[in-house]
Amino acid sequence: MRQRPLLHTSYQSDQALMNSWTKKVMLAVLLVILVLIPFGVLPVITFLSETAWLRLLTTVAIFGIAALGLNILTGMAGQVSLGHAFFMGVGAYTAAWLGAAPGPLLGLGLPIWIWLPAAGIVAAAIGVAVGPTAVRVRGLYLAFVTLGLVFVGEYVFRNWDSLTGGSQAGRDFPGFTVRLWKEETPLIDFSTAGSWFGVELSSQAKTYYFVIALFIVAVVLVKNLQRTRVGRAFQSIRDRDIAAEIMGVNDFKYKLIAFGVSSFYAGVAGALYAGFVGRMIPETWNLLLAVLMIAIILIGGAGVVTGTVLGAAFVVILPRFVEDFTHWLSSVAQAGSGFSSWLADLIVSTGAGDFGLINTQAGTAPGLSTAQLNQVLYGLLIIGFLIFEPLGLYGIWLRIRNYWKGWPFTY
Amino acid sequence: MKAKTKWLAIFLALGLVVAACGDGAGDDTTTTAADTPDTTQPDTTDTTAPPDDDDDMEPGEILTDVGVDLDAGVIRLGLLSDLSGIFAPLVQVIVAGHEVYWENVNANGGINGLEVELVTTDTTYEVPVHVQRYEELKDQVVAFGHSTGSPHTVAINQQLQDDGILAIPLTWYSGWSDPAINSNLMHHGINYCMEAYNLIGFLEDQMGDDLNTIAIATFPGDYGLDGALGATQAAEAAGLEVVYDGSGAVNPADESTFTEAANAIASSEADMVYVVTNATTFASIFGQTIAQGYQGVWTGANPSWNPALLESPVGEALAASSYWSSYTNVWTSDAPGVVEAKQLLEDSGRLERPSSAYFEGFVEARMMHAALEAAYEAGDMTQAGVLAAAKSLEEVDFDGLAPNESYVGEPNDYVQRTSNIFQPDLEGFLSGETAGETVVAPNYTSDLAANYDFTGACFVLES
Amino acid sequence: MNPTLAILAQEAAGPSRFSDMVVEGLSLGAIYALLAVGFVIIFKATQVINFAHGALAALGAFLVASFATIVDIPGRWLPDAPSWVTWVGAVALAIITMGVIGMILERVFLRPMVGEELFAVAIVTLGLDIVIRNVTNDFIGQFPRQVGDPFGVALFDLGWIRIAHTEVVQIVVALVVVGLITLFFRSRLGIAMRATAFDQEAARAQGINVGRVFSISWVIGAVLAAVAGVFISMFPRRAAGVDQSTAFIAFAAFPAIIIGGLDSIVGAIVGGLLVGFAQSAATFYASADFFGTGFAGVVPWLLMLVVLVVRPHGIFGTEEIRRV
Repeated sequence: MRQRPLLHTSYQSDQALMNSWTKKVMLAVLLVILVLIPFGVLPVITFLSETAWLRLLTTVAIFGIAALGLNILTGMAGQVSLGHAFFMGVGAYTAAWLGAAPGPLLGLGLPIWIWLPAAGIVAAAIGVAVGPTAVRVRGLYLAFVTLGLVFVGEYVFRNWDSLTGGSQAGRDFPGFTVRLWKEETPLIDFSTAGSWFGVELSSQAKTYYFVIALFIVAVVLVKNLQRTRVGRAFQSIRDRDIAAEIMGVNDFKYKLIAFGVSSFYAGVAGALYAGFVGRMIPETWNLLLAVLMIAIILIGGAGVVTGTVLGAAFVVILPRFVEDFTHWLSSVAQAGSGFSSWLADLIVSTGAGDFGLINTQAGTAPGLSTAQLNQVLYGLLIIGFLIFEPLGLYGIWLRIRNYWKGWPFTY
Repeated sequence: MKAKTKWLAIFLALGLVVAACGDGAGDDTTTTAADTPDTTQPDTTDTTAPPDDDDDMEPGEILTDVGVDLDAGVIRLGLLSDLSGIFAPLVQVIVAGHEVYWENVNANGGINGLEVELVTTDTTYEVPVHVQRYEELKDQVVAFGHSTGSPHTVAINQQLQDDGILAIPLTWYSGWSDPAINSNLMHHGINYCMEAYNLIGFLEDQMGDDLNTIAIATFPGDYGLDGALGATQAAEAAGLEVVYDGSGAVNPADESTFTEAANAIASSEADMVYVVTNATTFASIFGQTIAQGYQGVWTGANPSWNPALLESPVGEALAASSYWSSYTNVWTSDAPGVVEAKQLLEDSGRLERPSSAYFEGFVEARMMHAALEAAYEAGDMTQAGVLAAAKSLEEVDFDGLAPNESYVGEPNDYVQRTSNIFQPDLEGFLSGETAGETVVAPNYTSDLAANYDFTGACFVLES
Repeated sequence: MNPTLAILAQEAAGPSRFSDMVVEGLSLGAIYALLAVGFVIIFKATQVINFAHGALAALGAFLVASFATIVDIPGRWLPDAPSWVTWVGAVALAIITMGVIGMILERVFLRPMVGEELFAVAIVTLGLDIVIRNVTNDFIGQFPRQVGDPFGVALFDLGWIRIAHTEVVQIVVALVVVGLITLFFRSRLGIAMRATAFDQEAARAQGINVGRVFSISWVIGAVLAAVAGVFISMFPRRAAGVDQSTAFIAFAAFPAIIIGGLDSIVGAIVGGLLVGFAQSAATFYASADFFGTGFAGVVPWLLMLVVLVVRPHGIFGTEEIRRV
């Protein structure tokens, strides 16, 4: 058996989290990289240690946690939800109520080990409460029910001034400081700069470590869920719910579990997102955020954990990339003559009245602003992936990997 | 299957190209206001003695940290602009004003030989994006030429103070004149709260006994509620009865709230309406009330107005029944600052049509110009140095482009109480000759506003 | 006066708040019904949930604005024609363009998805919505565009009721459209569409050109969305014209569709009117003290949730038959 490392002789070894040597090595390397990023000691990706990039990476992890939740519901259990943003909002405001310091707005000042899990639990409870409707209403009608949740939720958040700070005004959310109870000095403070074990770290670096650690826990939990009885039940419901029911899978029960677990993830992610940004207006938890979550799991690959991670990274980093790319193009366009600058000039508009697909000059020429371009790209990618590669980025990765493994054979 | 594989290959190839280019572009995120080709990354260490000797400046004495590069002769300013959100029509014009102003300054020798370069970013009027953009820019620029939006600026206020960076708020929240709320922002123009005092006081003078009741319809948040509180207090001071209080009731993201407010205003039959919204929302509310036969006088915070509304079906009705106030001077004024600004705009070719919003860009740029020059004279062009210089400016003179500002003394002394009150000018705007404003009271301060004892922000955001 | 009590305290003469409410409900209902009918026709014929419907409405309104006010076609060739003639000409051009756009969208983006899961196809249209909405918004620019209608702000004031000319047009056009749709379904093509809706493969076996039915349904859907979009962007609802939020207003039409039932034309009309009236009543009579602001915006969704709990397939929708 030693000569055939990929030969699995038992179900257990086949289903193991890391069923091959490559995976173990790659994972170890990845973990080391993740730890080293804030120090800026790695070649090539040194720029990731900049504040702005650390914040982007932290956002990737937070959106990743949220999207993992949606992936459980939509990717694994096949229940379409456009309402993920609502559950994120529930989590965020639960966190605020429990964790924020008492003041004019609701806040109990409890420590993080209470408010963070509670954010998930309350969101999960509401998810389970919505569940029965969702089980009764099927398929596309369900998509509209969850869409309705977003609108109703936004209405409630906007009007519940004492909790949310009111529309367009918003409130502060509790930061990432670990306290035993309500004592003055926190045990561990992730949100102010300082040194850990003699290593000087910025507040962004600390927040990054905190969120990445939670993200890894979230990934492992989903990976495990996928391999359990519950995970298999989800998949059978997704593939054919009546068939699943005939085989003894309790449709009602597992759909409720799917809603609950998914909402738990959303709640925790919402609390993290709000705590990370610091101040949020109630309008944050709207349809656009819900659609962004859908975009993440579809671009990454529905039903696959790796895909979700890839999707989150892609969707969060794309705006930054588009912006840099546009600036680079406009500098090429301005640099002088030649074919490349002519081409760049066609794509970017650089001056008044200049034609261009992308517009960097405010209010002068037609052309998409970079924010609009991002949205258009999300849209096109969703369409493109659904039509050409339903497995998303993960599907592309699979093709590359299989090509690599099989080379020189094409199969 | 073959077609699919081909497409995949194209996607993949594009992806690789894109990834390759991305790395190269990663460290170059500035746009130039002038034609200066972009140069190096900003120096993060103190530059003391650059090798070249220039006769009109002694760079050896100038301290710098971020955003000022004496070797390259560049000062970088950040603009946190809403280029695609709900206030974009206004902000795009303001940004153009900034650009035209600095292009002219750079062409005439810059600030003691240093050219000013603008780094403009789109915040999309979203708080998280705004914060993210701030984080990206703060290591590149010496100060922020503007920061759009009240909740957005509040969100970075603490960070600005921690980082010791100066910013000009592109929002007229009353808290910017309140030292308890802000120490790093340069207030300018009459604030939303005081503006309500000014306008209601003006209408009281105009209408006399015909003015007894008022309806108030505003956006929520510190923009809307600041104006709403001002209007409520001013109405009380003027002895008006508030027959509909829609403070914070109009939500830009929710069409149905426009109808709710319009119906309530029409039902209330108030003598006047005070709105604090944006222009399209205002037009929608206005249209729905006149469809129900409502005939009252309309006024409100300046961002609720846009002369382009005069082209709409309700343009005529608007011109006949509304008054507005302008934070800067109006297009038709002959003050030297206005004449100069109009000339520069025309020469630059950036002028699309007359609009006093360009002046707002000029005013912000002139404030920053004053701060930068003061910092240069003090020999400290670090982020903290520019901030300190700005906060010690006794008077910033705009040559009539806007009422002068001061940053020293007590809030009650330096808070701005003056604005230009105008009526829409239908014919002038439609013919393209004016910015659509007929001034009825230039540099006006109503008694209500003059007597108001400003001790702090009207509306205080709760954390 | 407290708006909640307004209905009880009306004076006998003059247009009352109640009649204003009815007018508002009718015109809003007409708009929602137009959107919903187009949506249902697309769904019935092609089994596609069209999330891009709102974006199509905004695009249509923008096209009317472009033809009527920006490029001024056909107005520039007819300098002496009365304004309503040139406007109707501009609307006709916009409608033709929208029909072509609808056909192209179906052909390029949705035909490849035939036979895929309903959900996957629906999400493709969600992607289309994002793309069309953002590109349209870029063309609209930051300030609203006038649709350039000749009706102005004139009102009919008959003493007991007060109604804007634009609202009369909206209601009349909606009635005409409903009539035309009814006639259409009796025509040869309409029967083909009904057959396709019933069973695509059986229809094909009967010699019906299913592909053409798909195209036509998208043409009709896109055109109706455009008409609704123009009405949304008119006085009094949107006096400033079509703007970047126009596409979102159409979201309130989704509950109307679901309430009526995804696959019922009658349901779409009833749902549209119901939602229009419910929303109108909420804007007039729901007390802001109790309900806060924006209650009217969620009334359609609340109504939808209630209806779905009682009838999971809407009032007129047919129950899905599930097979293993």
